[in-house]
Parts: sequence; structure tokens; C-alpha cells
Amino acid sequence: MVQKTDMAWCPGCGNFSIRDVLEKALQELPIPVKNIVLTSGIGQAAKMPHYLDVNYFNGLHGRSLPLAVGIKLARPDLTVIAYSGDGCNYGEGGNHFIHIIRKRLDITILTSNNQVYGLTKGQSSPTTDFSVKNDLAPKGNENIPLNPVALAITMGAPFVARGFAGEREHLKELIKEAILFKGTALVDILQPCVTFNKVNTYQWYKERAFKLEHPLTDRYEALKMADLWGDKIPIGVIYRDEGITCREVKNICREQLTEEDIACQLDTRCVMMR
Amino acid sequence: MEFNVVIGGEAGQGVFSVELELTEILSKLNYYFFATKNYMSRIRGGHNFHMVRIAEQPVHALSGGKWDMVIALDDETVKRHKPNLHEKGIYLSRDLTKEIEKEAREDFKDIKTANTILVGIVLTVIGVSPEKMAEAAESASAPYLKKGFDLAVRWKLAGTCPVSPRAGDHCKFDGNQAITLGSLLGGCQFMAGYPMTPATSIMHYFAEAAQEMPVHFEQAEDEISAINMALGASYAGVRSMAATSGGGFALMQEGVSLAGMTETPIVIIVAQRPGPATGLPTRTEQGDLNFVLHAGHGEFPRIIFAPGSIDEAIALAQKSFEMADRYQIPVFMITDQYFADSVHIIEDDIKTEARRREYSIFDNTYKRYRLTENGVSPLTFPGLSDALVKLDSDEHDEEGKITEDLNLRIRMVDKRLKKFELLRKDAVPPTLYGDAKAASIILCWGSNKLIVQEAVEKLTGEGISTAALHFGQVYPLTAEMITPYGLESKKLICVENNARGQFAGLLKRELGLNVNHPVLKYNGECFTVEELCQTLKSLLS
Repeated sequence: MVQKTDMAWCPGCGNFSIRDVLEKALQELPIPVKNIVLTSGIGQAAKMPHYLDVNYFNGLHGRSLPLAVGIKLARPDLTVIAYSGDGCNYGEGGNHFIHIIRKRLDITILTSNNQVYGLTKGQSSPTTDFSVKNDLAPKGNENIPLNPVALAITMGAPFVARGFAGEREHLKELIKEAILFKGTALVDILQPCVTFNKVNTYQWYKERAFKLEHPLTDRYEALKMADLWGDKIPIGVIYRDEGITCREVKNICREQLTEEDIACQLDTRCVMMR
Repeated sequence: MEFNVVIGGEAGQGVFSVELELTEILSKLNYYFFATKNYMSRIRGGHNFHMVRIAEQPVHALSGGKWDMVIALDDETVKRHKPNLHEKGIYLSRDLTKEIEKEAREDFKDIKTANTILVGIVLTVIGVSPEKMAEAAESASAPYLKKGFDLAVRWKLAGTCPVSPRAGDHCKFDGNQAITLGSLLGGCQFMAGYPMTPATSIMHYFAEAAQEMPVHFEQAEDEISAINMALGASYAGVRSMAATSGGGFALMQEGVSLAGMTETPIVIIVAQRPGPATGLPTRTEQGDLNFVLHAGHGEFPRIIFAPGSIDEAIALAQKSFEMADRYQIPVFMITDQYFADSVHIIEDDIKTEARRREYSIFDNTYKRYRLTENGVSPLTFPGLSDALVKLDSDEHDEEGKITEDLNLRIRMVDKRLKKFELLRKDAVPPTLYGDAKAASIILCWGSNKLIVQEAVEKLTGEGISTAALHFGQVYPLTAEMITPYGLESKKLICVENNARGQFAGLLKRELGLNVNHPVLKYNGECFTVEELCQTLKSLLS
């Protein structure tokens, strides 16, 4: 177990709560720890796997998602969780985020979404609200924010949720549900950045977050709900669709290539003249 | 006797299907042949041409002499290839091929059958009977081939350039098929890719293999994703690969660096085409050697193979996966459009024994980056045992945890770079052709191997003593690789398909060799034997 003082996060960072919650969630799940793999990218959130006792591949910025795809396709027996921040999963890895959903794989995507670039010290992230000021946008952010929840629903993700680092028990249940869900599951986690985001604070989220009692199952209703941002921010499972089937993946790792496989390949492909 | 035919036409006219059907039948009839193509980056129109060399001995290159037959399916063929027709050669003009199309429509109500009729004509010219054709072809094609025979007889072409089938048992391969087979033999079970000429057909062959075998092909949204998927699969426990061309490889570079840092085994095929940028998408060049040598930020070991023949491609592809696993490094196979798209037959037996990744079991004290004597740490995979497998793109400690301990940094760099010593011991030596005692030696790498080999044979036949040294491994280069050949005291000629003599530069840097005469071609086409002989003669006299 890593001491909190060894962790690279600022005192009061929302990632501490998320770490504790994630650790508990993994302990409570009926999955042996050796079968759980976390992938992550780069950023403060992407350091998460280092502070948990799990298998991990901490890759490059934006690439937690394709790493997760490769692992799941090679080893469908593993429980694969892609963990990173909003800059990583929605910015640098934005293209991967769109396409991983299309792949219909049983992968859980967790995003620490603090609406700001922390590790590079306070620039706009893809989810930074419009007109928020920072060093690179002294007159205010000119871009409208990306809505990961709405985007995931639009792309056809069958499980889309939003959690809040300040609602630990609720978040833990969301994460467990997402991991147990058979299919691509997103939990976008509102994570206050105490150093660089002076707008979206614990207090700010607390005043706005409200818990959904049931997941919506109608895609268009869910999209309307996903569109809520500002005075009211829904948290919970925003969309859940049991109808989108998960892709069948053969467990190639269990089998090895045999001489017969190759001989057969030669016969059919190469006009063996024997 | 040999017979050289070129078939030219617009994209979409079925010129490629003529080559495919012809070579398929030639193979079944045990003819020695070599086929390659020159095509444009478009779906319809333009001018593509396919060249087939049929011989009574093994042939593995374009002769470069006059054509024995030119078949024109467009007007461009007349302009471009008729001037190179042998004075006694056969010319199927556009008028004649239109006549064939007309008869195809009349007799068979299908203009597409004209392509098979053309195949029948070519086969009749080299002396194949309609019965033999029918035996070798798919039964549906027999009437069209017979029609070709009849037309050839009508036009008094039958048997005018007789070639005998002399080949024994064999396999027919293009370069990308060889790479795919070698990869499967190397135990590769996962490939992710984004289509890019001339690497795409590797993906096609692999995806086809995946239908029946325990392998997976995944089409990625881009090359960045492809290499990261392949690295994820490798981490999870299967041998894996990615294939692309220069532009796609530019996107993959960060993944190469990631493989270097995380010590994740991976094989990457770079099928070159002329750059910079989009360049000539469907033509050939050896312009990316320096790029592959230096790809990926930071310092880490790598191996680069550059096969020049089908058997070498199979063997080196297989070896790539062994090396990648043994040393936990990225291994490259660098080929090009000419190699990818050229069709050869090989008579040697192909061993079908597939290699596999060894699995080791460890307990919960396992450390992925354990510091060892030779720099190689024990490798295992998640979920096999209580060992947790932790990989980090940051500098890390033995366990795989992020660190900024600068003393440990030095030990970790040294650990990774120590593997260079092991790689040097495992280097694949170059292959010598011709007279080892000759005062001059022709150096080459990759796809020029068999062209240079035939040129050396031809020159030797004309009484000009020379030799060639082909490098199937271009990095690392070691002194031991060249010790037997006394290169320091010879006139060195280096044949490459690029404008700057990149391999000559590498030989200078790594081995201190000074190439006296670079022979460079960079118009997007391969060398021919005849062309190379002319150039070499002027340098050797």
C-alpha cells in the first residue's frame, strides 16, 4: 500500500477520494485482483494505477483506450479498466474515445474529469466551461466544452454514468456497476482540482449535483438528461441499454498456433503443388 | 528460353486479374516465373501495367530487356511500352484487344471474359495446349481460355515463343504473403492496423488467417491506435505486430518509443513507398531506412531486418518475433512496394513448425523490471499467477512504479542499453554472391537482393568478375558481419532505391566503410537486371 504522502497529487485533490473509492470497489467485486488490469495515459489522474495494487500498463498521453482494446482482444478473460483524465481521454485520446465505443468491447472507461489541465498547470481542457479564464486563454476559453456523457450516448455506448468525487458511496456503486456491466461502460467522474480550477469546486459541484433514481433506458431521454449542465448536474447511471450486445472475442491466448494451422494456411494460400 | 510480357491498361479494366489468373495457371503448370506490377494511386483510369517473366530456370527479377509481347488495353501502353517491344515481338494493339472484347461479348455475353481470353492467348504463345490450360484453370474458365487459344491460332501466334515448364514442387508467394506466413510461424497471434499501401495486403492475409486460426486482426481508427493496441495485446500475453508504410509509421513513432521504455516485445513492418508525405503512394523506394533507424524519441535498442527474398522474408519474420520476445524490444522488418507486390515461386520446403511465446510463472514478489546481469528481466503476463505486471512509460523502478530517482534512472538506462551487446552477438550475417576474391563488391539491402544477384551472375557469365553482399539485417551492423570479406581493400559499390545513399551512410557510420560508387534509383520503380548490368559494367571496367 502506497502512503498518501508519496502520491503526486495536491492535498485535497479529488483523486484521493476516487482512489479510495476505486480500491474499495475493486475489493468488493467478486473478481480476483490478478485478473484486473488498469490502463492509463498521462496526467495527474493517469498516475492512479501506481497507487493501487493491480496489474497496469501506464502508457502514453491519450492512449489508455487503445491499450485497453488490445488487452481485451488478446485476453477477454481479464477485467480491463481504462483510467485517465479529461485531457487524456477526451482531448489527446478523443478519436480513440469515439471509436472504442464502436468496438462494443467489455471495457470500463473511468475519467477523472476536473475540467482543467492539472499537470501542465492550469490550461483549458476539452471540458473546461466556455469563457473560463486561464494563462493560455487570458480573455476566457473561446471553445465550448465537450460533453463526454452526451457523446458516449450518441456513439452508442450502452452504459453511461456520471459520478462525483464528493459522493463516495454513490461513486463506488457506480464504478462496481460499470465494471460488472457486460459492454463498454463510461463513468465520467467530476473531480475538483483544488489548485487550478477555482470555478468548479467541491462546493460548486455539491450545490448542483443531483442523483438520478433510475437509469434512463430511452436514448433520447438520456440525451436530454446528459445535456443538463449548469444549475443542475445529474449524477448516476444516465443511460443503460441491455439491448446493445457485447462483441464475442475468441480467447486467442488460450490456444497456440499449430503446425496443422500453418500447413492448412500454406495449402489454401500458396498453391502447394504436392 | 524466356518470355517477357507486359499488359497495360487503365485501373478497373482488369489488368491485375490477367496477372493473377496467368500466374495461377503458370504455377499449376510448373512454370518458373516472376511477376510484378506498376500501378497508380486510383481506382479507375490512369495507366497500370503488369509484367510477367516466364522462364526455364528460376527468375526473381525483371530482366529489363525488350518485351517479347506487349498487350495494350489502353492507348498509353502503345506510347509507353511499344517502343520497348522486341523487333520480332508480339504486339496486341488496342484494336486487337478491342476485337477480343467484342468477341467476348458476342460469344459469352460478358466483356469480363476478355481478360481470361487474353490469358489463353499468352499461354498459347508459350506453347500450352487448351487441354493443359483446362486442367490447371478453374473449370468455368476453360471455354474462355480455349477461345484465347483459337484466336492465337487464327493470328498465327501459337507456340511462337515456346517455354517449357521446368519447375518442381513449389509455392507461389508475393512478398506480403511471405511476411504474413513468417509472422504466423513466429507465433504472432495479434495484429492491429490501418490500411496503407503497400502494407495493406499483409492485413488482408492476416485477417483471412484469423478466420480459421487462433489469431486476431483488428482494424484501428488510426496508426497511433493500431500500435497501442498491438502493445496492449503483447502486454496481455500474445505475440503481436503492426504493419504500415512511412506515413503511418510517422504516427506510430510514439508507440515505438513506448515499446522501448516499457520493454514490450513488438514487431513492426514498414513497407516503404516514396515520400516525403504522401509521395508516390503505389510506387517503390528504400527511402525510410534512416527514419526507421531513428524512429521514437529517447535511446533504446532495436533490430531492423530487410529481407530480399521470399524464403528470407519468411525466416526473418519468424525470427523477428523470437528476437522481440527474447530481448523485449521493438523489431522492424523494412520492405517496400516492389517487394510487397512481386510474385515469386519457391521450391524449397517450408517448415510449418510454429514458434510460441513461453510463459513463466512467478509469485507476488515479481518485478517486471528486475535488474539483471544482461539487462533482460523475466517476462510474464497478467492473470497467469499472483505476479502483478506493472508497465510504465515514465522512468520507473524495478517494480514498474514511476520514479524520479536520478541514480536509478542511470541504472535503468544502462539496463535497457545493455541489450545492444546481446543483439550484436545475435546479428544475422549478410549473404555473399559471386566471386569472393573479386576486387569489387556490390553492397545492397532489402528488396534489391535478387536483382543484384542475377546481375552478378550475368556479369560473371560475360567474364566480369565481381561479387555482391546482401544485408538482410541492416541494424545493428557489427564488424563480425563483414570480417570474412575484406571490404576495406575492395572497390565498394552500393545499390539502393533512394536518392541519398542511406545504407552507404549507415555503413560509414557503423563500420567505417567508404562506399566508392553509390548506385541510386529514386523514380519510384525498381531496378531491372539489364539496367543494373549496364551501370555496373561502367563502374567495373
